[in-house]
Formats: sequence, structure tokens, C-alpha cells
Amino acid sequence: MKRSIKNITLISTFVLSSSVALIASDLTKAYDMPDASKLIEKDLLKEPTKFTMPKSCNLDDAEAIKRGEFFFHNLNGKKAKGKAPKGVKKFTEKKGKDGKIKKKPKQFGNCVACHNIEGAKGGGNIGPDLTNFKKTYLDTKTRDAQFVYQKIADARIDNPKTHMTINLTTKLFDESEICDLTAYVMSDKKPTKEK
Amino acid sequence: MKKLLLPLALMVTVATAGEQFAMSDADRAMYKEMLENNPADIFVEEGGELFEELGDEKALAKFLGVSEKELPKYIAGFPRYIKKLGNVVGIDQVLQAMQVEQGKEKYKLKSGKMFSMLAYVKSLANDEQFTIDTKADEHIKASYDLGKKTFETARGGRGLSCLSCHSADIVGQVLRTQPLPDLGKAGAGATWPAYRMTKSSLRTLQRRFQGCMKNALLKVIPIGSKEMVGLEVYISTLAQEAKQPIAIPGLKR
Ligand code: HEC
Ligand code: HEC
Repeated sequence: MKRSIKNITLISTFVLSSSVALIASDLTKAYDMPDASKLIEKDLLKEPTKFTMPKSCNLDDAEAIKRGEFFFHNLNGKKAKGKAPKGVKKFTEKKGKDGKIKKKPKQFGNCVACHNIEGAKGGGNIGPDLTNFKKTYLDTKTRDAQFVYQKIADARIDNPKTHMTINLTTKLFDESEICDLTAYVMSDKKPTKEK
Repeated sequence: MKKLLLPLALMVTVATAGEQFAMSDADRAMYKEMLENNPADIFVEEGGELFEELGDEKALAKFLGVSEKELPKYIAGFPRYIKKLGNVVGIDQVLQAMQVEQGKEKYKLKSGKMFSMLAYVKSLANDEQFTIDTKADEHIKASYDLGKKTFETARGGRGLSCLSCHSADIVGQVLRTQPLPDLGKAGAGATWPAYRMTKSSLRTLQRRFQGCMKNALLKVIPIGSKEMVGLEVYISTLAQEAKQPIAIPGLKR
């Protein structure tokens, strides 16, 4: 019995090859298995990239430090509380297919998810504690601005297996925003009371 | 029964709306209470009714070519290669094929009805250990490999992979107040579908994967894709290695 069904299927497949899916005994198309490979392909992370901190980076600029702080402590424009500092937009506007302007929250660093730092609320500990960064690393000349810039831009250069987010190679931030973050991490911060 | 759920679900939402990730004392108390009376039970029950329309265990066993007695252990081996479907598939995809074979309209993989039915069918294997044999055939082996690769592939706006937050050296560390679970020991594969308190709904394992993808800015890939099924194989084998028995529905923060 089974064999004869198979034969009928075979014959009808042969005759009506375009309507295979309609044959009751063929269940290979009866369920959904959407393609994801193209989505993933387009989403892949580019090769580790070396960056040089631009000369335009002004690490002492108080406004840059403020922007860096805002990026550091916030996940995105929708979740961010309070007013964004000068020069930072919480949302980007893009024209959708229907011609209507669509607001998209800008993504920020959310560095605090993994790092503790002065004033952190619920800082994580996947990355090193960045509290007292200036005193610990800069004043002792263990780190310099280029190191910090590269670490934030693409941490894989000095740690191929890093768990840290990649921020410039992915274009999550642009060069000047990486400058802002570098300025903030390196800045001399007021100590905050333990939370 | 269903009317009861709503106020409860609302309470959960209100209680968790404040902190982005944390579990407050109030949440913890609620969690304890819910452990005894999992809100997802209602969904599982509903799933059972939908499954009845397909002919119950009897029809499923027949469709899969096993005896009813063997069914629980066999279910504990999903996702698995089903020859007549031509792929390694999840239980939900088998249910779709049964619906089509019976001339019924198939539920979307991401629909609430499918989540409920999947939860019910997987719960038939409760207390069983997973029986996934990644060496059984080339198909399941390929699916496992694809799942592992998907797990380890860095992508998205922040260049993260699942491994960035779920590798062994990070387990127990804290991501913004949220301790990172050991996916094996936590029995992730064995405890979804689960009631997700922060979402006030029943979610499946693949839906949970999507949550992590969205949060970490990885492009969200569709439920039922080869990569998603592979991820489910991979995560389920972690629960299998950790000897975590299937316990559906789970209850999650
Ligand atoms: C998902 C976790 C994670 C996130 C998010 C993260 N980091 Fe890191 N970070 C790490 C880890 C882990 C290290 C340890 C070194 C390494 O692996 O590269 C690190 C190292 C660093 C260092 C070097 C510290 C040293 O040794 O001098 C700096 C600076 C830094 N991170 C800044 C940032 C900034 C700024 C952001 C946000 C834009 C950020 N991190 C986001 C995990 C993270
Ligand atoms: C940026 C960090 C991060 C990334 C990247 C990430 N996860 Fe998660 N994941 C978490 C955290 C934190 C939790 C625990 C959250 C909770 O308990 O609500 C979690 C929970 C889970 C759970 C549920 C565990 C349980 O208790 O049942 C699964 C399953 C999971 N992740 C899978 C994945 C997969 C698959 C990927 C990649 C597609 C991924 N995760 C990527 C942070 C991450």
C-alpha cells in the first residue's frame, strides 16, 4: 500500500512538478521554516579594526565629558531619563516607506550594564570597575588616551575574546562620540557616596 | 478562570515596571506565590484543548510513528529529524504539519495558540530527561553545529554574541543588576515554555531567544528558522548534560 502511494506521488510529481506542495502525502512544505541566514549575514560583525584617536578629540571639554557621561549611563533615547546634554539627540528621524516621518530612539552605550563607575546606578561587574580610573590608570601611566579610545571603539584589538561591546566598528557611535566617552572615562570625577 | 488572570497579570506589570532588570522584594514574593499557582497553567490547559482537536496523543504518536507509551520519551528528544518533514524540527512545526494534513489551517509559529499547544505537548514529557542524540544522524548533528555557531556569532549594533553574556567565565556575574544564569544548570531548555512575569504571558524558548536578541541589539531572527531550531537543540543539550528534567510550564522573572 505504502509503495503504491509513493509511486502515485512519484508519477504525479513527474507530471505536475510545479504543484508538489499540493500533494497530500508530501508534508515537507506543510510547516513554516523561514529563512534567517540572510538576516544574520547582513548583521555580522566586521573584522577587528585599529583606530587612531582623532586630533580633534578634546578630552578636557566639559561638554564632551557631559555627553560621554550621558552615553555611558543610558541604554537608548527611549529609556533615558532627563534632558539630553547639548549636541545629543534622543531620537533620530527617518522617512518610512509610507512617507511618514518615523522617530527611532538613538542607541547609547549602556556601559553601566557591565561597569561600575562614579555615580553608577546598578552597575554591572562583567567589565572592570572604572571608578577612580584617572588615579588608578592614568596618573600611574598604565593607560593612555589612545588605549581607552581603542578599547571603546573596538576592544578586540587587545583582547580578541573580549566580552565588551564593539562601538565604532559597528557604527553604533561615530568618532566624535567615542571621543566623548573617552573624555568621560578619563575625566577626574567627584567621588560619590556608596549607593 | 481566565478572568482571574487579568488582574494578577496587571499586578505583575505594575510591580516590575520601575526597574529595568532587577527583581524587587515585591517581585520575589510574587514569584514565590506564583510557583504554587503558575498563571501559565491556564494556557497549558487551553493548549490541551486545542491539541484535542488534532486527535490528542493518539494522533500525535501515530503521526510520529511511535507508540503512545513511548511518546513522552520521544517528545523529550525534540527538536529532532523527522523524515517525512525533511528537516530537524520543533514540536510546533510537527503540530503545523498535522494541522495541514488534517486539512485545518495551521497556527502561526509565533501565535499565542501555538505557544499554548506547544507548551501542552512538551509538558507530556514532564519529569523526563532530554533524549537528544546529536549523533543520531547527520541532520541533527548539522542542526546542533548550526545552533552552536549561531550562539557564538557576534553581530548586531553592539557586536555581541549570545556567548558574550552566557559563556562559562561570566556565569554569576552581574549585567545591570541581573545575575547571568548558567543556561545548562538553570535548565533553560527544560523550563520553557514558561510564564514570563515581566511580560505577563506565556513565552517559548525561541521567543525567549528573541528577547535576548532584541535587548542586545542583535537582529531578531524568526521562530522556526533553521538557526532558531539549532539554538533550541544546542540549549536543550545543555540542560540534558546538566541532567535537568523537563518541567513545563516554567516560571520566569
Ligand atoms: C557587555 C559588557 C560590557 C559593556 C556593555 C561595556 N564594557 Fe567595557 N569592558 C568590558 C570588559 C569585559 C572589559 C575588560 C577588557 C576586555 O575584555 O576588553 C572592558 C574594558 C573596558 C575598559 C578598559 C579598562 C582598563 O583596563 O583600563 C574601558 C575604558 C571600558 N571597558 C569602557 C567601556 C565603555 C565606555 C562602554 C560603553 C560604550 C563599555 N565599556 C561597555 C565589558 C563591557
Ligand atoms: C547583553 C547580554 C546578553 C546577551 C548578548 C544574550 N543574553 Fe540571554 N540573558 C541575559 C540575561 C541578563 C538573562 C537573564 C535575564 C532574566 O533573568 O530575566 C538572560 C537569559 C537568557 C535565557 C533564559 C534563561 C532561563 O533562566 O531560562 C535564555 C534561554 C537566553 N538568555 C538565551 C540567549 C541567547 C540564545 C542569546 C543570543 C541570541 C542570548 N541569550 C544573548 C543576557 C544576555
